[in-house]
Amino acid sequence: MESPFEGRLIRLRAREPEDEPLSYQWFNDPEVTEFLTLRYPLSHKSQREFIDSHSLPSYANASFAILRKADGAYIGGCDLGDNRPENRQASLGIAIGDKASWDGGYGTDAMRVLCRFGFEHMNLHRIELEVYAGNERARHVYEKVGFQVEARRRQAHFKYGKYMDVYLMGLLEGELLSD
Amino acid sequence: MKSPFEGQLVRLRAREVDDLDRYHRWLNDPEVTQHVMMRYPISVAFERNYLESVAPTSFELALFSMDTLAGEHIGWCGLHGSSPEDRSASLGIAIGEKSYWNGGYGTDAMRVLCRFGFEHMNLHRIELNVFDDNPRAQRVYEKIGFKVEGCRREADYRYGRHRDIVVMGLLRGELVEESRPSGAAS
Repeated sequence: MESPFEGRLIRLRAREPEDEPLSYQWFNDPEVTEFLTLRYPLSHKSQREFIDSHSLPSYANASFAILRKADGAYIGGCDLGDNRPENRQASLGIAIGDKASWDGGYGTDAMRVLCRFGFEHMNLHRIELEVYAGNERARHVYEKVGFQVEARRRQAHFKYGKYMDVYLMGLLEGELLSD
Repeated sequence: MKSPFEGQLVRLRAREVDDLDRYHRWLNDPEVTQHVMMRYPISVAFERNYLESVAPTSFELALFSMDTLAGEHIGWCGLHGSSPEDRSASLGIAIGEKSYWNGGYGTDAMRVLCRFGFEHMNLHRIELNVFDDNPRAQRVYEKIGFKVEGCRREADYRYGRHRDIVVMGLLRGELVEESRPSGAAS
């Protein structure tokens, strides 16, 4: 039987306290946070608390660490949050913090595993996400796995001295594209 | 000096515990709630507790009761989810008193609320969500300058079906003021 948490290149597991030192580094690195909602520096305390409050994956907060299958290295995190059981909808967030793993297909694989888990095990009907205009690489990945641009929220985000548009993307049950 | 809370038909004010009976009635009226993000019945106790505990009107949560200029409480509106860095907020509005539907009160309240958001809260952007089966509201929002920015497909489920949610946005400078009758002195 195939594990619902395993893809071609990555594997998802619950977040653990030992993830803290690496994630602290990543999420204080402007190259990593440029396209994330993060704006202020993160303390060890806030990062420990984040991991503590996100280490019991559940319907309300399905949060995971992303591991590279080849060597088991921790390379990022992802989650389905804001889940509404009536609408069967969740919001997706993902970040590959390990820069050596960028452009290696890990994010695409993690997106597929996470969305498949959302549809096949959490019984979601819809998954949505937001991506900033300018983050073409991420938008391309989301489109590749089947997400459609549904809205362009004009000048909705301010960072680095200017307002940016925010794309809202959605994926419905049955639209996930496999590799 | 013109009050920032007064339009041509309505006046906005802080919510009061005295508003309880009306909020309880409106929030349990399916004709009202079908267009609002409300699904479950609301008890008198819950609503009273909410009105008693809600923080003072502020940047973070600017919620208002809406009165006619004659002083009759007919609905509510507000700006929530405000981000000071993005200078953006989400707007919600409803006329609970159904005899006031289609009378221009919502349009007037929208203008007062958005003007307050831009001129007194110093917002850059106001956005709202409207269900696909509420074209009347969508027309009002478009009339005062909101633009359809997209549509979240099948994002809501009620009454046995998935509904789309239309996303609309209004930037500073885009608010369309009421046109004056021709020939009127300004």
